Amino acid sequence: MSVLTLTIEGRDVAGQTGGTILQVARENGIAIPTLCHLQGLSDVGACRLCVVEVEGQRKLLPACVTAIDEGMKVTVNSERLTAYRRRIVELLFTERNHVCSVCVADRNCELQDLAVELGLTHFDLPLLSPQASVDATHERFGIDHNRCVLCTRCVRVCDEIEGAHTWDVMGRGTEARLITDMGIPWGDSNTCTSCGKCVQVCPTGALFEKGRSVAEARRRRPYLPYLVAHEGRTR
Amino acid sequence: MYRLLDRITRGLASADELAELESLAAMVRDTSLCGLGQGSPNPVFSTLRYFRDEYMAHIDDHVCPAGVCKMEPREAAVAAGEGAR
Ligand code: SF4
Ligand code: SF4
Ligand code: FES
Repeated sequence: MSVLTLTIEGRDVAGQTGGTILQVARENGIAIPTLCHLQGLSDVGACRLCVVEVEGQRKLLPACVTAIDEGMKVTVNSERLTAYRRRIVELLFTERNHVCSVCVADRNCELQDLAVELGLTHFDLPLLSPQASVDATHERFGIDHNRCVLCTRCVRVCDEIEGAHTWDVMGRGTEARLITDMGIPWGDSNTCTSCGKCVQVCPTGALFEKGRSVAEARRRRPYLPYLVAHEGRTR
Repeated sequence: MYRLLDRITRGLASADELAELESLAAMVRDTSLCGLGQGSPNPVFSTLRYFRDEYMAHIDDHVCPAGVCKMEPREAAVAAGEGAR
């Protein structure tokens, strides 16, 4: 392992070979917005919120899956990046049904936090308002597909940490939905161990514990101390 | 993007919506993971580059210069074939 030096936001920083831009930035206290990333799980580069500009690269690169390189010059914040990130969050909101005032995750939601951070005050795009279903067949938990942003954190925690691989994604584009086992009701799943890890890592109000009402979802993050979404935050 | 284009071809769109289409197309091109996403807005970019005046005709003058699109409120300009996508 050797050490590579690069600049992020004009600051000289160093990181190990194989490290990602996101890791090095966070180690140095430089914030990059993320949604699908969860430290401790594999990265999939799905949400595109962490895109950064790298000098000499025409394309924007997702910081969570881009390995650092010697002499790299990375820009984390620019007008263009903020505008794109805001648009990404807007697309996530308008693709499903997000009504924060009646959501279990209100004020405990990473999507909501991102909207606030990025200054998303209104939608320019039309709401798709799909009729997505709710699966409440599990004894203790439920999933409201109307709130799911397809970050696949639940899929990864279930597969990589619990080893059950109950969750998966079926369908494409706006039709994509999370499924349990081969698309059977969650309550009928015989791989689900009812550990609740998926519920704890869900950034939104999609996965919830039964019996929680509006704004009552509290992620019990100390329960999974090795998984960190945002350093220095409690959820 | 499809909705915006559809509205333009039906003569329902405003100039703001054209700007919206352009910014959305740029975002999709720049933030996509694979070539499919990066290339998908290309038809929008190339038609805008070469036929921007036709886009504007749909929006400002409410006519389809090629006579292809069915413009919504006025019954004129009806022709067979696909609307410009
Ligand atoms: S999941 Fe988050 S953004 Fe969506 S309605 Fe609930 S609180 Fe709002
Ligand atoms: S249910 Fe939650 S954790 Fe799972 S993909 Fe949807 S938003 Fe992400
Ligand atoms: S955090 Fe990098 S793509 Fe989602």
